[in-house]
Amino acid sequence: MSVIGERVPRSDGRAKASGDAEYGVDHAEPGMIWGALVRSPVSSGRITRLDTAPALAMPGVHAVVTAADAPDTRAGWVLRDQRLFAADRVLYEGQPVAAVAADTLELAREAAAAVVLEIEPLPAVVDLDAALRPDAPLVHPDWESYVPALGPDADYPRHGNLAAESVSDPPGVDDAFARAHRVVTDEFVVQRQYQAYIEPKSAVGTYRDGRYTVHTAHQFPYNVRDRVSQFLDVRPSAVRIVGHTIGGGFGAKLDAALEPYAALLSKAARGRAVKLVNTRTEDLLTCPSREGAITRVRSALDEDGTIIARELEVIADNGAYSGEMPWLASIALHCARGVYQAGPTRVTARLVYTNTAPTGAFRGVNGTYLYHAVERHMDHIAAELGVDRREYRLRHLFDDGEELLNGQVLTDAGILREGFDAIEAAAPWAKLEAERRPYRGVGIAAAWWLTNPMPGTAVVKLHEDGTAAVITAATDNGSGAVSMGVTQIVAERLGIPPSDVFVTLPDTDVAGFDAGSQGSRTTRIVGKASQIAADEVITKLKDVAAGLLEAAADDLEVADGTVRVKGAPGTSVPIAVVAATATNTVGPIQGTGSFVTPFPDFNPGCATGLMLPSFPTPTYHVHLAEVEVDPVTGTVQVLRYLVAQEVGAVISPDGTYGQVMGGVTQGIGYALHESLRIGEDGRYRERTLESYRLPLAGDVPRVEFFPLEHPDPDGPHGAKGVGEGPILLPAAVIANAVGDAIGRPLNNIPITPEEVLAALQTAELRNVEEHMR
Amino acid sequence: MELSTADSVDAALDELSRRGERCRVLAGGTDVMIQLARREITPEHLLHVERLGELRAVETEGSTRLGALVTHRDLAVGRLGPGYAAVAESAATVGGLQTQVVGTIGGNVCNASPAADTLPALLVHDAEVTLRSVRGSRTVPLAEFVVGRRVTTRAPDELLTTITLGRPIPRTGDVYLKVGRRSAMEVAIVGLAARLTFDGTGVVTDARIAVASVGPRPLRSVGAETALVGGTGDAESVHAAAKALLQDVDPIDDVRGTADYRRRVIPGLLGRAVRVCAERAEG
Amino acid sequence: MDVTLTVNGRREQVEVGPAETLLGMLRERLRLTGTKEGCNEGECGACTVLVDGLPVDSCIYSAAATSGRSVETVEGLADDDLGRDLQAAFVAAGGVQCGFCTPGFLTTLVAVLRENPEPSEPELREALAGNICRCTGYSQILDAVAATISGRNRR
Repeated sequence: MSVIGERVPRSDGRAKASGDAEYGVDHAEPGMIWGALVRSPVSSGRITRLDTAPALAMPGVHAVVTAADAPDTRAGWVLRDQRLFAADRVLYEGQPVAAVAADTLELAREAAAAVVLEIEPLPAVVDLDAALRPDAPLVHPDWESYVPALGPDADYPRHGNLAAESVSDPPGVDDAFARAHRVVTDEFVVQRQYQAYIEPKSAVGTYRDGRYTVHTAHQFPYNVRDRVSQFLDVRPSAVRIVGHTIGGGFGAKLDAALEPYAALLSKAARGRAVKLVNTRTEDLLTCPSREGAITRVRSALDEDGTIIARELEVIADNGAYSGEMPWLASIALHCARGVYQAGPTRVTARLVYTNTAPTGAFRGVNGTYLYHAVERHMDHIAAELGVDRREYRLRHLFDDGEELLNGQVLTDAGILREGFDAIEAAAPWAKLEAERRPYRGVGIAAAWWLTNPMPGTAVVKLHEDGTAAVITAATDNGSGAVSMGVTQIVAERLGIPPSDVFVTLPDTDVAGFDAGSQGSRTTRIVGKASQIAADEVITKLKDVAAGLLEAAADDLEVADGTVRVKGAPGTSVPIAVVAATATNTVGPIQGTGSFVTPFPDFNPGCATGLMLPSFPTPTYHVHLAEVEVDPVTGTVQVLRYLVAQEVGAVISPDGTYGQVMGGVTQGIGYALHESLRIGEDGRYRERTLESYRLPLAGDVPRVEFFPLEHPDPDGPHGAKGVGEGPILLPAAVIANAVGDAIGRPLNNIPITPEEVLAALQTAELRNVEEHMR
Repeated sequence: MELSTADSVDAALDELSRRGERCRVLAGGTDVMIQLARREITPEHLLHVERLGELRAVETEGSTRLGALVTHRDLAVGRLGPGYAAVAESAATVGGLQTQVVGTIGGNVCNASPAADTLPALLVHDAEVTLRSVRGSRTVPLAEFVVGRRVTTRAPDELLTTITLGRPIPRTGDVYLKVGRRSAMEVAIVGLAARLTFDGTGVVTDARIAVASVGPRPLRSVGAETALVGGTGDAESVHAAAKALLQDVDPIDDVRGTADYRRRVIPGLLGRAVRVCAERAEG
Repeated sequence: MDVTLTVNGRREQVEVGPAETLLGMLRERLRLTGTKEGCNEGECGACTVLVDGLPVDSCIYSAAATSGRSVETVEGLADDDLGRDLQAAFVAAGGVQCGFCTPGFLTTLVAVLRENPEPSEPELREALAGNICRCTGYSQILDAVAATISGRNRR
């Protein structure tokens, strides 16, 4: 019986529901002491005094370290622009300036507070447009000396406060605008979004025998290994990262955070294990949140209203350090038209250094606000033309064989129309329009997205009792990609129950490189690698069983916990017997598999600074939302939410729905509840979960989900990425629905009750005035 | 710092009299424990009073009196009975279930937050608070007890023991409305309580309007009340009441909302409250 | 100071500080790490435990206040019929993703369902306002509760 597409309980579920699961914050070691960071209270300034003596003098304090105790080097995922500790200047609020280790957490925090830190404030670069002006102070006066992580040859367009730039300027744009019948222009502003996983970041570091070991609940252990090795100036293999159950990450736990400090503190504390845990406020202030951005878009229309050219400019907030951001900035090119034909399109993506916490990956990355911009813009155009919004989209919708701005060809983009049809069947547009009620509105939008192609590997090891272990550095960030997806895929291949498959937690000393739980990649990439590994196991099983069954290996199959002769299921031997026999004759059975998806062909000349050149394993998404606005308070309730999504093949129905429901909920939060504002001083205004409002059970409807399944021939059982797509469109559809409900466009995210109510009251006032005339 | 648990009101009063300002009263702890963790308060002594069963009583015969340790949850599920919908509704919006089962009405009053949900509801029910000390006992109107942002007239040796509310009046409706961005777990951007009494023809004969989060302390708006009396809850009287209410409040921009928004939201909120009161007065 | 209390049916005597939270006592002194700290300010509900049957945020509940009381944590739910049913249903219905909020949801729900064995979905959404789940969007958690209720009714 196949377990693919079946409801299989996640392998870590029981441990999580019983309290047994050991998360990063739960990890403890014998003799462990505690660390705390001294963080900059201001966003920009010069350190005029840093005195650690009062902290060091406290009984129970083991070590205090500062920039003077760390290697004089810079580290970074893409660009090595970051120091472990601020040395002379601080560049954002919350930046570590020193770290202490002490007997207890309370003492460590008291000691951190005892460190004398004086900072002379400097002007903070905060405003994105202002940061790019020639007279703006430089966040990094030394920017020219910075070297990409992959070496000088990997450098990319950047200059001063411009942390990265990608420009695509195809011919014909200006001509089209010159002959346009009408030009529609928009500007969209979005705030940052905090990932707000419920487990704050933590790390336990030890330094022993010349090596650093760090225990951490992390999405991408190998990336932490590399970052710790850069910061501490040792070779990567001198660092061991041991993973733990993760209390959520959503992209924020892809780069190092507390790990290098825990490692360095342990060295300073003569090898005692040191644990660091963020308070919620520390976590919020320093998390690489989704970047705020300004997107400006204009489209040229001909007399029929057809879009004949477009210009899109996005300016995104990099924060004080780059992290993964330069790599992501070029995604603008892939989303600039959404999923609609728009003629030649000029795309400029700029990433800007500011004196704020570094930004980073959050599920769906910049797709969330790029699609918000493009889809709001489509509604605006339709309104200008006085045509139906859905119909207008269908008129421009991509089809099979669509060639994109980067030259990539989407052979299967016709799936989009199936998505619109699936939504239409459940919520007929004409019916929604006919049943319109005051203060209610509907929005519809569509997107395409990638499945992250980066490499993964797995070893499948057969125990002598017939169960299997999967050794991999892949992590299950909660999605079930490992605890369901990979587990089911291996169980299916080996013909054993999923409950007999054990997947290890990551350990970089043990498992091969894995590119982390990001970009919806794990089920597909690690699932495929595990499948390949399982196939090697099967080959070995058959070879050994051939002797036991006195049959040719080619005539055997592995199924139902046995190796058996095809067509003669009575002639079989249990896997456990074969495995035990193998161990004692030819040696233990294990197999290895690796997988990486090649990037689809693209035109390298299409743009400068195109670091993510094309979107592998594309998926397609159509969303519809119905909202109701409270005319008294301006608050918005999402009444109904529909998703049609291409997933390749459903491996786990619960896992797939969980990703859709959870992603949409985060998108609803992004659109309506979560506010992360930055003051002129560069400091966040929201600093706790009281003011940083996460959606509650009463704030979200049950999502109606329509999976579209067009199996990918290269994916395990046809699987494509699932996790990110659901968050791409809620901001777009909700903004469109609110605009529909109140009859006025709102172009900022989040949509605040303030803005909604002001818009409603202005509209009412105008109605009254018109009535009186 | 030390902690002691009082086993009788008299023992608590003795302790307070001895320690005065150095002592912080700990009831449910939902505010105090946070303030301690943030080091916003650093008392020498914590006096844990939450075990004083005599302060948990709710009396609805004769006068309506509730002990200071009555929890938000007790109120939210309607222990005060009909006629106190505003109190129940306000208590039901204080945090989540976890906060409501331990957070106490006395604590909410003494914490005197500008955004305290229960205060407007208590104010429209003409609440009086009784404070006891070894020196004796005094009863004052709530409006005179909470005098500023997190400031009350409680003397350091006093313990708030009882809150007394006006008796339910026939043909009266009351309500608490709260403006927040989510369905729950909000610190009020604006909280508004109303209690309106109607005569047989639908004319308002008595009115109480109180608001939170629009000034340093929750307060009643006598101007709004006066404007409503004599009307029928019609648009004109509501408009006049809203105008008067806006004159009584002094909202600020804070992390939760702007002063402008608070002003914009008040008229509609008041209108909604009047409508609900009218419906409830009939029912 | 010493407090004597019952934790998951076992008598414990623990030394606690005057400002210590119940959460700190459980995690650090009793090494019951199933109860999670998410915010330390009573906003997320990950630390919910039952004190004399009432669901409290242990991060803002005084450890000293538990003297003589009975505390139930996620580690004790397997000994409780309802707790066990909920645990199984959460796993079966996809109500667990990262799982960090799960102990708090389970303990809250034990208290909610003990008081009202058949809450409606709107009642549940309201009762769970103090528990934040960042992963699931709540639907599969509500499915798990529905499955628990119907399973118990069938027995």
